[in-house]
Amino acid sequence: MAIRFLKQDQLPAFLGQLAEKARVVAPVKTDGVVQFQPWVSGQDVELDVLLAKQSPKEYVFLQTETYLKFGYEMVKPEAAGGDTAAEEADPVSVDDAAVEVAIPYETVTVEPQNEAPAQVIFGLRPCDARGFVQMDQVFGGYGGFYYDPLYNARREATTLLAVTCREPRSTCFCTAIGGGPAGEEGVDALFTQVDGGFVVEALTEKGEAALAAAGAALTDATDAQIAAAGEVKTAAGAKIDVPFALEGIRDNLHDNIADDRWHDQAMRCISCGTCTYVCPSCYCFSINDELVESTGERYRVWDNCFNPLYTEETSGHNPRAQKSNRFRNRFSHKFWYYPDKYDSLLCSGCGRCIMNCPTRIDIREIVRVMGAPAPAVAAGAASEAPAATGDAPAVAEGKEA
Amino acid sequence: MSRQDHIREFAAQALADGRVDYFIGWKQGYNSSEVVPAFVKDPADVDQLIWTPLCHHNLVTFIKRNMPDPADAKIGLCVKGCDSRTLVALLQEELVDKEKLYVVGVPCDGIVDRRKLEKEFADELVDIAFPERGRVVVTTGKGETREFAQDDVLLDVCGRCRYPNALYADDVAGPLEAEPDREESGPDWSDIADFENLSDDEKQAALERVYATCIRCFACVHVCPVCVCWDKCVNRSREPELVAQKVGAKENLLFQMIHMFHVAGRCTSCGACDRACPVEIPLYLLHRKMNKEIYDMFGFEPGTKLDEKPVFQLFDLATDHFGD
Ligand code: SF4
Ligand code: SF4
Ligand code: SF4
Ligand code: SF4
Repeated sequence: MAIRFLKQDQLPAFLGQLAEKARVVAPVKTDGVVQFQPWVSGQDVELDVLLAKQSPKEYVFLQTETYLKFGYEMVKPEAAGGDTAAEEADPVSVDDAAVEVAIPYETVTVEPQNEAPAQVIFGLRPCDARGFVQMDQVFGGYGGFYYDPLYNARREATTLLAVTCREPRSTCFCTAIGGGPAGEEGVDALFTQVDGGFVVEALTEKGEAALAAAGAALTDATDAQIAAAGEVKTAAGAKIDVPFALEGIRDNLHDNIADDRWHDQAMRCISCGTCTYVCPSCYCFSINDELVESTGERYRVWDNCFNPLYTEETSGHNPRAQKSNRFRNRFSHKFWYYPDKYDSLLCSGCGRCIMNCPTRIDIREIVRVMGAPAPAVAAGAASEAPAATGDAPAVAEGKEA
Repeated sequence: MSRQDHIREFAAQALADGRVDYFIGWKQGYNSSEVVPAFVKDPADVDQLIWTPLCHHNLVTFIKRNMPDPADAKIGLCVKGCDSRTLVALLQEELVDKEKLYVVGVPCDGIVDRRKLEKEFADELVDIAFPERGRVVVTTGKGETREFAQDDVLLDVCGRCRYPNALYADDVAGPLEAEPDREESGPDWSDIADFENLSDDEKQAALERVYATCIRCFACVHVCPVCVCWDKCVNRSREPELVAQKVGAKENLLFQMIHMFHVAGRCTSCGACDRACPVEIPLYLLHRKMNKEIYDMFGFEPGTKLDEKPVFQLFDLATDHFGD
């Protein structure tokens, strides 16, 4: 596929043409805050901050998504034509055949919801796109275990036009976990900023189709522009620190499950859940039924492992009763349980959780410390402590002394 | 001796004496433009404690946040003037035991609003330095450096601060800051004047607009030092489900109204909720409005007098009014 060029001043025209065929979602600044929003003509796309507050996962995995609407009503057959007052006074007097058919009956309506408008997300970063790939494994029927029709319908209707990170932030660590500022995983077309505009590469058929739909705004890239894009990519990759090596992390997290240091690490966490809601790959949700009078809906809504209700059982017992138990889960899920199941990580290294956490809990530091073998002294002490005698997580997570 | 040196000395002493099990202060975050709460257990580690105009966290939040501390854990902590008010509010309500606390008051000349600085640059901030009192020097990732006057980039709450010195402390980190004449002038409510001038319909619309972007992360609630239900918050309860879990302008507003009523007469305007909100919702609007109503009605400023009863504990069913 030919490599194209989009002049900076042609960006609105490009998005405008896309918007004729699909909803366009892009990072836009409102009241000083950059978030992915449905783009409307005339709005500036904000690429300078690098990362919007939240990843664009909200457009595929909705924060609140209605599964179905339901309702019931008492229907009174018209054929009865009878004496309503008498029926209400004595509904069981059914010896007369004419009255018998007039007994009101209940109808239940169930209306499934499933809409998935075509959309193009522009201006996400390679780490954001990778977050979708990681969620796909969970929602997309990996090994035939589970297939989520709502997620997949939206995912299929979505095209991801990512922008290379020319100026990574100090909180970025995508290269440490197999990605990069020009990473292609999950990306349908990649836009790299060079002098005067973007070098545009289609990476999938979806990406090619999107570029074809807005072809009038594009030209062929020159060799010089393509070379410049290559330099931007290499230079960006070199700017990113590698805070830890992946080897051994999974096993060490397993071995450290009952380690007291989790409590120390969690001290400054306020157990809010911000980190999970800004993350491109956290995918937990809960399901609610809400009934008002005789109609209602069943919807799912994002939930997170810091919420004490997340693991509370019907009996009232909570296997993760303490903040530190819940705290441990987030990191263990991303670097141990998920990798065990899907053989990849559940983190793309975007750093959003670091910079948006109210107390700036640093996932790099947690993984570095808790993903390393326990110091000999601490391990010895832990095995003597009565609270840490349980080998199974269920015991270790129970009420501690 | 700097305030920072005082803090380190007090912390080291209290840890060495066994007066506290751990000491809560502030330390540098992931780079030198960030400060985070620090929990120090070993006197040898007190050198990580710092005091700069970036120490915005209200550490009172953490007194109750670290179960399973043994019930008799003794905690040392630093409080600025505003933080001390939330501590006084909790002491008034007998929600914390002062025998188990060791409190170091830190006289404060105003905390810098990192978000105001962030908005001055396209690039990320990597260093914020304070070469001397009143000067703030900011450096970005690309190496751009700019200087600001501290007074120009303060948190809004600091701009109207009436209590720069701790109202409750066992020790004080250096000389006190000058205090405004509180007899002379009452609290400054100018921050909510625009909001108050709106009609009811406009207020409703304004609130729905600001809360429409709420992502229900509950950081505002969890960071609030006087929000004490924590793991049992009614806004999250599903049995009974009193507040819809779904995200939407009306649902979000209801959740915030509940938060406002639960901290009415208790909120000290510390601003922790505003700073914690990842999507920068002006949470002060509702809380400050409620604070003003309570001040106008009862002359009550939460957390200012240790021997005072909180206003909502004064309600007398027999006489149907508050206090005498
Ligand atoms: S865990 Fe943190 S760094 Fe990793 S993808 Fe999520 S928000 Fe980004
Ligand atoms: S790590 Fe930070 S963002 Fe996540 S729950 Fe804890 S305090 Fe909140
Ligand atoms: S509601 Fe906000 S301003 Fe008031 S005490 Fe709580 S955190 Fe502080
Ligand atoms: S901190 Fe902000 S986004 Fe989070 S629940 Fe509170 S108002 Fe909503």
